Amino acid sequence: MTYAIDRIRNFCIVAHVDHGKSTLADRMLQLTELVDPRKMRDQYLDKMDIERERGITIKAQAARLPYLPLGEAGGEYLLNLIDTPGHVDFSYEVSRALNACEGAVLLVDAAQGMEAQTIANLYLAVEADLEIIPVLNKIDLPAARPDEVAREIASIIGGEPEDVLRISAKTGEGVREVLDAIVDRVPPPKGDLDGPPRALIFDSIYDPYRGTLVYFRVVDGSFRPGDKIHLMATGFEGEIDDLGVHSPEETPIDALGVGEVGVLSAAIKDVAQAKVGDTITLAGKGWEAVPRLPGYREPLPMVFSGVYPIDSDDFPQLREALDKLRLNDASFSFEPETSAALGFGFRCGFLGLLHLEIVIERLDREFDIPLITTAPSVRYRVVMERDDPETGEPRVLSVSNPQDLPEPNQIRAIEEPTVLAMILTPSEYVGKVMQLCEGRRGTMIAMDYPTEERVELRYLLPLASIITDFFDTLKSISRGYASLDYEIGDYVAADLVRVDLLLNGEPVDAFSAIVHRDDAYAFGRSMVETLKELIPRQMFDVPVQAAIGAKIIARETIKAKRKDVLAKCYGGDVSRKRKLLEKQKEGKKKMKSVGSVEVPQEAFVSALRSGSAKSDS
Amino acid sequence: MSPLPARAPRAWLTEPVESGPSAGFGVYLHVPFCHHRCGYCDFATAAVGDRGADDQQALFVRYVTALTTDLGHQVAAGRRAHAAAADRDALDPRWPEVTSVFVGGGTPTLLGGPLLADVVRAVGRELDVAPGAEVTVECNPETASVELFAALVDAGVTRVSMGAQSFAPHVLATLERGHTPQRPVEAIAQAREAGIAELNLDLIYGTPGETAADWRRTLETVLAAGTDHVSAYALTIHDNTAFGRAVAAGRLPTVDEDVQRDRFEVAREVLGAGGFEHYEVSNWSLGPARRSRHNLLYWRHGDYLGVGVGAHAHLTGRRWWTTRSTDRYLAAVEDGASPIAGSEELTDTERAEERLLLGLRLRDGLHPNDVPRIEPLALADAMAVGLVETACGRLRCTETGWFLLDDAVTRLLP
Ligand SMILES: Nc1nc2c(ncn2[C@@H]2O[C@H](COP(=O)(O)OP(=O)(O)OP(=O)(O)O)[C@@H](O)[C@H]2O)c(=O)[nH]1
Ligand SMILES: C[S@@+](CC[C@H](N)C(=O)[O-])C[C@H]1O[C@@H](n2cnc3c(N)ncnc32)[C@H](O)[C@@H]1O
Ligand code: SF4
Ligand SMILES: [Mg+2]
Repeated sequence: MTYAIDRIRNFCIVAHVDHGKSTLADRMLQLTELVDPRKMRDQYLDKMDIERERGITIKAQAARLPYLPLGEAGGEYLLNLIDTPGHVDFSYEVSRALNACEGAVLLVDAAQGMEAQTIANLYLAVEADLEIIPVLNKIDLPAARPDEVAREIASIIGGEPEDVLRISAKTGEGVREVLDAIVDRVPPPKGDLDGPPRALIFDSIYDPYRGTLVYFRVVDGSFRPGDKIHLMATGFEGEIDDLGVHSPEETPIDALGVGEVGVLSAAIKDVAQAKVGDTITLAGKGWEAVPRLPGYREPLPMVFSGVYPIDSDDFPQLREALDKLRLNDASFSFEPETSAALGFGFRCGFLGLLHLEIVIERLDREFDIPLITTAPSVRYRVVMERDDPETGEPRVLSVSNPQDLPEPNQIRAIEEPTVLAMILTPSEYVGKVMQLCEGRRGTMIAMDYPTEERVELRYLLPLASIITDFFDTLKSISRGYASLDYEIGDYVAADLVRVDLLLNGEPVDAFSAIVHRDDAYAFGRSMVETLKELIPRQMFDVPVQAAIGAKIIARETIKAKRKDVLAKCYGGDVSRKRKLLEKQKEGKKKMKSVGSVEVPQEAFVSALRSGSAKSDS
Repeated sequence: MSPLPARAPRAWLTEPVESGPSAGFGVYLHVPFCHHRCGYCDFATAAVGDRGADDQQALFVRYVTALTTDLGHQVAAGRRAHAAAADRDALDPRWPEVTSVFVGGGTPTLLGGPLLADVVRAVGRELDVAPGAEVTVECNPETASVELFAALVDAGVTRVSMGAQSFAPHVLATLERGHTPQRPVEAIAQAREAGIAELNLDLIYGTPGETAADWRRTLETVLAAGTDHVSAYALTIHDNTAFGRAVAAGRLPTVDEDVQRDRFEVAREVLGAGGFEHYEVSNWSLGPARRSRHNLLYWRHGDYLGVGVGAHAHLTGRRWWTTRSTDRYLAAVEDGASPIAGSEELTDTERAEERLLLGLRLRDGLHPNDVPRIEPLALADAMAVGLVETACGRLRCTETGWFLLDDAVTRLLP
């Protein structure tokens, strides 16, 4: 059925990681009796395996809920819910969701209180001009401090602490009141019912059976199966084959009108033809006159890592796997590169560390190609000494692989990406947090007290400093209470050098890193120590050295191995001996021979992670 | 001059000179009882120390009955019934003569002379034992006596292998051993007195807390005890043992690789000076005649039956083993059911793997005709890094390669 526009409410649920968004969505699905009780499971809308295993939301998900408030005589309302991810790597998903709504439920864990993404998402919602409904969740927890947290919320968004709804998404208590508040307070969508149809694409994914699926929200007019559509940015034209809504499973529908959210397929072969943020209109005469909707800023990869097959024969399979993954995740990038140590591979770009981890895990799980990933790095701007002969301007290189850094004498300056970090911490940890930020070359920009017990710190930090173990350290020095959010900042010049690592006298390009000159010695030292730990003893002594240019700054030796035999009486149990040996052989296959040294997979990533951890203390 | 006849690709399996069926035929019998389970031990054992004497005796009698029944069943089933399906028809259905018998544990000597003698005699009742066959019984020093050994000699036992482990009191304490440092030396003397022809002492090195001096003194004591054979094993810590848990919890240091290698070198030096020949990674004997024939059978990829709890058997490419639980073993055999818990038929690749991993443990390595097919590049690699060598066509480990055997074998494997 179609709904009158004043019966439609579009809202999203936003919150810090783990404050219970997906669980609240579960209760809403149940309350509106949309899911067969036998099929219900926790975080129903988290569909991907990785989401379910990690218990986090990665992709925003929409669901259409018909809702009849108690005692309501005027008929059903249509609520379009969008559940969003909480993790900072996926905050672009939140921005898109906000653009498709008129209201946002701001969920706050009553035990944790406000955290960095609570505030960041609140600002995004205010900027998008949404009606904000603050809700305290998890009041069933013994550690819940509802009064205190309600005061915190009220002091930040205004209003009275008593107006903050209190619920438990776990038990379902108070969830009906949230739905009622949405009906009462969120305005219905606005749009031209009879104007030329326009819709905004907020997601597009590739389905191997159905081609590209386009998720969109209707802004003006209406769409029907069979309509010939035109996508304004890419010029794609085609007929709508299927039109559907999620309730929460995809269900066909015969029309979608102003304010409604749905999905369509139109024989779009390449997802790139259905760009997120593009405007859908009808093909034929007059589409040129239809104004385009404001799109989205495309999320840019910020963190880079080299991805190499351990067995070089797997290179074509790796390319194919990356191509396939990108169909469903346009936010990561890859281009071929070569390494003297690792052979042929790809430099991949990710939104952040969690995103990197997830993509690598999917490659491993869905394509089963043994991989080596190099330590994450950022993209530097390198201003060269020599000007570009054509423009007369200095030449600028973009370097995301430390190996591509030119010789120091050719470089005028190196600039690195920064982030504007916002850290929310209970005041007792503020000293330690400041120490951490300063140790990672941070510059304080502001310090605020949004509430009595909480301090909001704003720092300008090199992005490189936070893509190692910054977050883990922040959590451990604050017993888990400090939280971090960041936005990408400008490029800033810094005194950076490349530290190389040598095994057995041979430089191993995959271990090179660009670091600040002041950190180079500590970094080199901890790297050689870490590699000494991680690389198993070989048939001969292996020197491990760190160097800047030709100058050795640290050195350790991996002593030759001296014992590798089961020198124990096993009697007749030969099967066990053979199986142990087969396991060893498998383990060896996961090593990469670099020169004549066998290096385990983990060494390439964990070496740098622990490297920075040590230079902290 | 006529060319040498080309050997068939599987000749290393079908016509071995020293390996496989050419190595003899053995019977292993397992006695799973111990007074106390030592912290490092992951053999199939059941601690019976807290049972009353009558209770123990009743259990032992039951077990020996089951053991002989199990042996009877395995023999009666016939040789072909145990063979791999593919080899079944080509196999001579008759059991060959037994060239070695080994009663191991656990602590077989807990059974006492008469019961243990019954176990040994059962083999002779069921199978033909070759004249001069080696018949070994494992013995814990605290259970030894002249009467016990006399009963064993009477039953045909020719060799005793005694677990001394160390002669340093604090090492024995760490290993949770129930005997004094002097006891094994006395027990060896008693065995000799009773007429046991061949004597071995087992040692463990690299135990946390053991010093280089402790180890040297232990080796010197062994030389003085006058055995003709010594087994010295590097302490191995398994996860599922008390030691494994202690290491995981940080209560016990892990065994250090360099220390183990140093101890190994000292053992080679001291035992070598005492006239012992180092013929297998962990075994020394006073000349080739005194090597342990039953263990040689294992390393030469030979055939053997396995009887009792947690016993392993092998017949030309098929392996099978019995349950590790004494209760389940007794229940099965008393019920007329099979105590066999699992089996596997090996592919030729797996058999090649075994041939190498076992055969290269021996100083002499493998006879040229017994060496499985190895990738020429893999062989060249293992030789180039100095792990293996060829001597008169035999393939064997180098002196260094011996203690890096796992590396050597994994390089040679496909
Ligand atoms: N006790 C209690 N636990 C809750 C409640 N709501 C959610 N949880 C638990 O909090 C954890 C996180 O819940 P999710 O719903 O996955 O949180 P989320 O906000 O969707 O998390 P992200 O999508 O990763 O940002 C889960 O273990 C839930 O069971 C509640 O009201 N009470
Ligand atoms: C089958 S065991 C048991 C023999 C007998 N019950 C005893 O303990 O004396 C034979 C030998 O293996 C060795 N051994 C047992 N467990 C070991 C371990 N975890 N590491 C190294 N050697 C071990 C001991 O030297 C032991 O004497
Ligand atoms: S006495 Fe021997 S078999 Fe028994 S537990 Fe100790 S080491 Fe193991
Ligand atoms: Mg979620």
